Amino acid sequence: MGHPAIEVRGLHKSFGDKQAVAGIDLEIAAGSLAGLVGPNGAGKTTSLSMMTGLLRPDSGRILIEGLDVWADPPAAKAIIGVVPAEVRLFERLSGEELLEYSGRLRGLPAGEARDRAAQLLGVLDLASDARRLVADYSTGMRKKVALGCALIHNPSVLFLDEPLEGVDPVSADVIRRLLTRYVGSGSTVLFSSHVMELVEQVCDHVSVIDKGEIVATGTIDEVRGGKTLQRAFIDLVGSKATGEEGLSWLGSSSS
Amino acid sequence: MAWLLVQLKLRLLRNALRASNGAKVGFIASTVLAAVAAVVIFIVLARLRGHSAAVDLTTVIFTVVAFGWLILPLIMFGLDSTLDPATLALYPLRTRPLAGGLLAASATGAWPAANVIGLLGVTIGLASGGFGVFIAVIAVLLQVMFCITLARFVTTALAGMLRSRRGKDFAVLLILPIFALYEGFIQIVPRLTAEGKLTAASFAGVDTWLRWIPPGLAAHAIQDASDGHPGPALLRLAMLAAIIVALGWLWVRSLSRALVTTDTSTQSAAVHGTALPFGRYGLRGTVAARFWIYQRREPLSLIYWGIIAIIMVVASVSTVLTPRYMIALIISGFFGGAFVGVFHANAIGMSGPAFALEATALNGRRGLRAYFSGQDLAIAVIAVPLLTVVSFGLAAVAKHPVDGFLGMAVDLVAIGAGLALANIFTAASPYPVEKRSGTPTPRAVDGYMGLSVGVTFMSLIAVLVAAVPIILSVNLTATAPAATRMPLLVLGAAVYGLALTCVGVAIAAQVAERKVPELYQIAVRSKL
Repeated sequence: MGHPAIEVRGLHKSFGDKQAVAGIDLEIAAGSLAGLVGPNGAGKTTSLSMMTGLLRPDSGRILIEGLDVWADPPAAKAIIGVVPAEVRLFERLSGEELLEYSGRLRGLPAGEARDRAAQLLGVLDLASDARRLVADYSTGMRKKVALGCALIHNPSVLFLDEPLEGVDPVSADVIRRLLTRYVGSGSTVLFSSHVMELVEQVCDHVSVIDKGEIVATGTIDEVRGGKTLQRAFIDLVGSKATGEEGLSWLGSSSS
Repeated sequence: MAWLLVQLKLRLLRNALRASNGAKVGFIASTVLAAVAAVVIFIVLARLRGHSAAVDLTTVIFTVVAFGWLILPLIMFGLDSTLDPATLALYPLRTRPLAGGLLAASATGAWPAANVIGLLGVTIGLASGGFGVFIAVIAVLLQVMFCITLARFVTTALAGMLRSRRGKDFAVLLILPIFALYEGFIQIVPRLTAEGKLTAASFAGVDTWLRWIPPGLAAHAIQDASDGHPGPALLRLAMLAAIIVALGWLWVRSLSRALVTTDTSTQSAAVHGTALPFGRYGLRGTVAARFWIYQRREPLSLIYWGIIAIIMVVASVSTVLTPRYMIALIISGFFGGAFVGVFHANAIGMSGPAFALEATALNGRRGLRAYFSGQDLAIAVIAVPLLTVVSFGLAAVAKHPVDGFLGMAVDLVAIGAGLALANIFTAASPYPVEKRSGTPTPRAVDGYMGLSVGVTFMSLIAVLVAAVPIILSVNLTATAPAATRMPLLVLGAAVYGLALTCVGVAIAAQVAERKVPELYQIAVRSKL
């Protein structure tokens, strides 16, 4: 039996007195499309940053296809692709140049990088905007070109932090179809999201994180336990009182 | 509406005092500067009393103030949220009360008050008699109203463009002529004044054409009233008032249009070229390609190169036309190379969150060497010819064109040392930067200002130390034949400068290898 695509053991990270990640254990099988869901400040971005070698953990072990991210960063980084939450890219490159740059940084020959960039731009519906500067791209276009950058070297594991945040439905559909196709070839995706419907629709595995801990993990059916994922999520992380009684003036029946 | 927008402006000013320490210091410094400007302008105008060129100088000062009102909003666009009509477009406001409110908001604050107080110096310097002083007060108020209306009209007319990426690029580039004017003023004007080459009389007659523009109308109205010609004085003020009304009318029209015009932020032209250059040169060529493109497309890079050229010229002004012109060539080369380093000494912080792309791809000391040497190559391709041209230009001005080779030798060493230090500081002491809305250049975020200043001073000192051997060589070989001296010095400087850069790359790669995640965490905190 092979290694899990992602294996996390006893991951901890604190910032000063605040414990952002309080001992995460996680295992994602190869070929999964896994979701990591949690409320704001739950530790999703911190966890993904540590898994991708961008934030040093206080303790714990992260293995990507059996390669220890923090013992051998070059080997692990070579097989992963990352789309960070804040998609700030090299704004003064065109979309085409950015993808080629990403490919060449990953060691692809210039010609190969250029060919793959052109194909990705086509699939991501960005071909007509290929020569525009990234600075002039909309949020959805940025997310799509960032996804292209993460995929151009054909990684076996892809990490995405809030990939559909601020993305219009058409661009979201393009991203969703590309991810499904990518996973269909045996690669693995782990992404964080607030959108429960999306996770429920496309993921086969979900982990719920709250206050730096995994509070539920398993297949979608296991985690939702007969309810919608949205309901199960709210039951797991709790919901706060809203104090709506103070808004008696709100609505067309009031003046 | 006017009072509401004035309150908004006052609230924004008050909130600046409650913001971060950096913002607080900036606000207080700006207020103190406004007070100082008011006092200085008042004294300068008041001291013109009895001077033969008083009206000419007053016209020049009024024009300079109007020019400031015209240019600064273009650079500060976004800093004052009451400036952009689009921020108010969502509210059900009619154009005329909105225009009045925006004008009133413009007139609120330390700088408009400083303008009125400072310009009232004309009541002593140019006006005489009760009627003259009365006209002077009216003229000053009209002059400030003209400045405000002009600034409002230009800002609103350009608002759509200034919200776009290209418009902001254009506004940022305006910093270059302003920096050149500032440097020229603080370096050249005091020197010319000390040498007696620039006196108040130098301005006599300049208003033969300036008198017909609005600031000139205000100044001449005061003189006419003081000379006992009330008719021409009132006529000039009436003309000025008419111009203000016309500008106001144009402004209201452009405001009406701006409120229903689409934002052009996403409209852009395609870039030329289909591929990144240097495809054959591996990772080093890849990084060099990105930095090379940025040198051309990023307005900040263009600003830095412009500032470097200006600093080199200004640093040499005091000695280039004297027998000690070699000092000018050496100082100019030193500052040029040192600032090449200073401006690139935080490359990762300046990349911002985009560094994620590189942080997830660059691995090991070899990859990081390629990263640093690639960026050095792209920078050197511009720095070497630029500094060489300036050095030969200065040598030609000094009437010793061949000595341009000596300046070039200093340039090469200073560039090599500057780049080495830029790499080392980038790896060892990066800091996050932020580009505040409306500010042309990024600055260190609060808490890192000291580090930023420290890096600048340490770079200057270290480049000076590194340049000592070439400076000594230039001096010690002064009697050697030029035919052997020049090539040897240039070649030696090139080898020495290259060696310094290679050492810098090696040290930086060694330091960065252990801390790529930490470098990324700094970069991700930058707000660009």
